[in-house]
Amino acid sequence: MTDEVLELRLSAARARRLLLRMLEARPAGHAGGALSAMDIVVAIYRKALRLGPGGLTDPDRDRFLLSAGHKALAQYAALAEAGLMAKAVLDTYGQTGTALGGHPDMHKLPGVEANTGALGHGLPIACGMALGARLSGNGSWVYVVTGDGELAEGSNWEGAAIAAHHHLDHLVVFVDANGLQISGPTKDVMDLGSIGAKFTAFGWAVREIDGNDMRSVAQVLDEVPFTVGRPSVVVAHTVKGKGISAIEGTVASHYWKPSPAELRAAIDECEQEIGLLESLVAAR
Amino acid sequence: MIGELQDPRATFGKAVAAIAEADDRIVVLSADSGGSSGLGGFARSHPERYFEFGIQEHGVTGVASGLATCGYVPVFCAIAPFVTCRNFEAFRNDVGYMHQNVKIVGRNGGFTYSDLGATHHSLEDFALIGMIPGVVVLAPQDPAEIRGAVRAMLEHDGPVYMRIGNGPIPQIFPSDSFTIGKAKQLRSGHDLTVVSTGYVTPRALAAVDQLADELSIDLVGLGTVVPLDEEAILTSAVRTGRVLTVEEHYAHGGLGSAVTELLASVPGVVVDRLAVPFDYVPSGRYEELTALFGLDVDGITARIRRLAAM
Repeated sequence: MTDEVLELRLSAARARRLLLRMLEARPAGHAGGALSAMDIVVAIYRKALRLGPGGLTDPDRDRFLLSAGHKALAQYAALAEAGLMAKAVLDTYGQTGTALGGHPDMHKLPGVEANTGALGHGLPIACGMALGARLSGNGSWVYVVTGDGELAEGSNWEGAAIAAHHHLDHLVVFVDANGLQISGPTKDVMDLGSIGAKFTAFGWAVREIDGNDMRSVAQVLDEVPFTVGRPSVVVAHTVKGKGISAIEGTVASHYWKPSPAELRAAIDECEQEIGLLESLVAAR
Repeated sequence: MIGELQDPRATFGKAVAAIAEADDRIVVLSADSGGSSGLGGFARSHPERYFEFGIQEHGVTGVASGLATCGYVPVFCAIAPFVTCRNFEAFRNDVGYMHQNVKIVGRNGGFTYSDLGATHHSLEDFALIGMIPGVVVLAPQDPAEIRGAVRAMLEHDGPVYMRIGNGPIPQIFPSDSFTIGKAKQLRSGHDLTVVSTGYVTPRALAAVDQLADELSIDLVGLGTVVPLDEEAILTSAVRTGRVLTVEEHYAHGGLGSAVTELLASVPGVVVDRLAVPFDYVPSGRYEELTALFGLDVDGITARIRRLAAM
């Protein structure tokens, strides 16, 4: 494991602990999808995103859009872990008027690029941002995380067509393919077949990885665009609820309301993982 | 020139292209709709700022929002129901909720695409888009107002929806002046008030002028539906006590609803609403359909007389 991958793994573990800190403030939220996407979201913030001197409001910044807005806990945790948001803000989760709503609000939280939550909106908006970046000539990148269940929304495929037709090769989409959605396995709810083949057919350059394997996530981020002139999509196979063994791979993790004991056990598990990774870092 | 018939789409497209000469933030988005929206000239003069997306309105509305976050001013024009009904959630969330500086223009509004049938009619766009907080809804009343409204919407920092029609309409205003949210007093009188909006206003004006010998009528023309010029309407309504709204839209959710709500707590004011019946408008010739619904000059004249006699 390279130093970079180890550091990113440690970051992701810390971000999972920060997610649980929000659930300590209010023990309810879309934890399952946030946890499956966490390694990707953390890697984007820690490794890929170049913000420029103006930080999160720099006009020429790279952008991260969470199209699957219900995974907001991942974005909030990653922002805090990356030092882009004060950790104390996490403790406002669940309060009326908080900047950390159930779905992200760009007018309340710097770093949120779009008011997602209704599914199927992020990709077309990201296409506009990528088009705008190209028009401006600022060379900035746009990263998007969608869910696999989300891809049943037809508007995603409008965006897929747009990105390919307009050769938006500074657009990178991660499909957080955890295979589960609120009504059950995605293949039973709406089987889209091969997501990668569909994007390929639309003209995208496609990679498939284990999206909870930080080495793979870091590697694909080093390799974009996979093909010059084409948008890049990473079909990232993940585990819903990743990192908290009691809820890993369960539909019930989609919207998790942990009991105090469940939350304590999850925190203990997370802190053990952090301790292990810290000792590995220290041993380097 | 007053009375001259001009094509609304060509007028709109030329106005956008002219302003874009001096404002390179303006970009035009087409859902296979730009050329027929009068924007072919823009595409030729500014090809680097003209983007084609094919037939998809939800996606284009999202793209518009994304471009606006980068400081561009996207103008997206297509057949009115496709940029209000089809893409409603994108309009609400990506443009409205995100407060983005996007301009969406519904052409062939109302039932001006008459013989193409109800799929191509837009009789609820004021209601739908008027329910999105922070979005301005414009309905310019003549070619001069289209030019003025284009300038005003591009200068306005925020989301705007504008409805224009199909066939040529006569110029009724001497200048292109246009202020968002401000009504124009076309005629002044004391017997009753006519409040009209959009390209129907020239017909309302003709009706009011036909009745000039028998009735003294206040004609308040609205180029802006949202925000409503409440002061202009209230001032006139209190003076005359009788108000007729005229619009090519369903009465509820449109100007008729807005004016009725405004005047609900004003004692002694009677409101009558001339609008399109709440049903799917059949295919047919535009002039015959307007006559069928009493939205032609004769129909408006008759409705004014009826209200005056109440």
